[in-house]
Amino acid sequence: MSASQSAVRSRAEAVQVSRAFDWMILFTLFTAVLGGYHIHYMLTGGDWDFWTDWKDRRLWVTVAPIVSITFPAAVQACLWFRYRLPFGAIVCVLALMLGEWINRYLNFWGWTYFPVNFCFPSNLVPGAILLDVVLMLSSSFVLTAVVGGMAWGLVFYPGNWPIIAPLHVPVEYNGMMFTLADLQGYHYVRTGTPEYIRMVEKGTLRTFGKDVAPVSAFFSAFVSIIIYFLWHYFGRWFAKTDFVAGEGI
Amino acid sequence: MKTIKDKVAKLSFVALLMALTSAMFYTPTASAHGEKSQAAFMRMRTIHWFDLNWSKDEVAVNDSMTISGKFHVFAGWPETVDKPEVSFLNIGIPGPVFIRAGSWIGGQLVPRSVSLELGDTYEFKVLLKARRPGDWHVHTMMNVEGGGPIIGPGKWVTITGTMGDFVNPLTTLTGQTIDLETYALENVYFWHALWYSIGLAWLLFWVKRPMFIPRYIAVSSGKADTLISATDKKVAIGFAVATLGLLMFSMGATNDEYPITTPLQAGLMRGIKPIEMPETSVSVKVEDATYRVPGRAMQMTLTITNNGDSAVRLGEFNTASVRFLDADVLEDESGYPDDILAEEGLTVSDNSPIAPGESRTVEVTASDAAWEVYRLADLIYDPDSRFAGLLFFFDEDGNRQMTMVDAPLIPSFI
Repeated sequence: MSASQSAVRSRAEAVQVSRAFDWMILFTLFTAVLGGYHIHYMLTGGDWDFWTDWKDRRLWVTVAPIVSITFPAAVQACLWFRYRLPFGAIVCVLALMLGEWINRYLNFWGWTYFPVNFCFPSNLVPGAILLDVVLMLSSSFVLTAVVGGMAWGLVFYPGNWPIIAPLHVPVEYNGMMFTLADLQGYHYVRTGTPEYIRMVEKGTLRTFGKDVAPVSAFFSAFVSIIIYFLWHYFGRWFAKTDFVAGEGI
Repeated sequence: MKTIKDKVAKLSFVALLMALTSAMFYTPTASAHGEKSQAAFMRMRTIHWFDLNWSKDEVAVNDSMTISGKFHVFAGWPETVDKPEVSFLNIGIPGPVFIRAGSWIGGQLVPRSVSLELGDTYEFKVLLKARRPGDWHVHTMMNVEGGGPIIGPGKWVTITGTMGDFVNPLTTLTGQTIDLETYALENVYFWHALWYSIGLAWLLFWVKRPMFIPRYIAVSSGKADTLISATDKKVAIGFAVATLGLLMFSMGATNDEYPITTPLQAGLMRGIKPIEMPETSVSVKVEDATYRVPGRAMQMTLTITNNGDSAVRLGEFNTASVRFLDADVLEDESGYPDDILAEEGLTVSDNSPIAPGESRTVEVTASDAAWEVYRLADLIYDPDSRFAGLLFFFDEDGNRQMTMVDAPLIPSFI
């Protein structure tokens, strides 16, 4: 076979090679995103995602969507711009959550014995589905940023409330009131994480009484829109092809 | 020549395998908490722990033990460390091998951060419930915001039994009795598995068809619009509607199941009560202090004035949790950890009772290998070469008085 001949000899073979290529790219994409997104999310979301006693109605709701819309935006840009594939957000989130579960189960529980009901990850799937669907139906990055980014921020808390609500049941303990999540943080000793590091319930949203989660979610949603734009451009830049002219090339 | 080269290569390979194998078998336990690596001035001039008691050396899973004692917040707190205005009484253990069932300062439960005052002495207690079997080094610890962890003395405690037997029962304010160790775990798994499955279904809907090469060719040739069919759009709308529907349903069902929930509890606790320490009648002036590097000994010249009405003798010098005792005056009966107890480490040039009204200048030497082992000798390399510690004086009846010392330290290298 010479260099000018095709590597495949029939349409069936071409389809077979194409599918093998599909799975190779998907596997590579999934694992690369799992690693990169996971590190990014641990560094930026970190403790808010690690521990139930950080999952509050103000800062967790605000921070987690903002720092997590990054990779979905970039991968969406690449997959849609090049292939019209509307699963950029979900592939990121599924990769991230698989990585997080491996980490939480094997490291947090298996290695250091923190109970899983204290260190499970946040659920990002509902926002990812909406982000992908909005992009697919609109075929517009502006609409995806505005509508999808808004949805990403707004559905984060409802998507997680059924998981964390049982841990917000109050308990009286030695004359003080705690939530069960607070008590988990107090009982299960984190030697390197003193209580004052915990950034929860701080802020000035006092005029909204007890209903601060929706306000925080709206703020988070607005910032998510901006972050979506920024990271979508990263994705576009990453997916572009440059042709460079030069004598030596 | 080739034969020799081959033999060298083979032997090198065997040596490499042997080295790797032996490295696998040599796995020493990492059990310390970095207390020796903390700057000496920080351990000497911040929190002074004393009168410590570990209630048990061995405890079974589910059984409890306490660590109690006092700590003095040093008035000459170093400028390079933030003041303990936001502090947290922690416990230095390797993860949750115990659960912290309670912690108190001055009788007040302190699950959150507290504000401490310089110069005050506080009583504390930490209640621990054994969870994971093993031999664990259990330290007292105070975290100070802007200062880091200030670790106190540690003692080995053995937990026996099996972790599978551990339970953490609680009764909530809604009347439900739960085991916090496993509470709501099925709920966590259920919702994560459900949402992951829905996400996976959306992904599978797209990956079941040819993806990258044919679609890239289509997009490049201007046929991108043909890649999304009307059915695809209907399915996508179905996923979106199902997602929103499930969110609404799950929120409603959760609120029905847990009608009473509260926000996380947070906030600094102020007004922690210190101990009313008795007025000390002994005053101490440090004339000079040197650290003899070769002898691993600190020498102080002290002028001690007894303003009380009974004669006193110097019995103990306590710095950075290392206790130097004059065996003629004081014997430890608390089971203090051996490695930081110098039972005969304190020598006083004239330690006869100092009579009421008497003022005496004495040479005091605190010597022990602990200076080196606990890296306190590194004080001479600190940016603020001062030492500090507690001196304990005793009268004939065994009554104790505590005095602080704080002075520059000059190293002696010969």
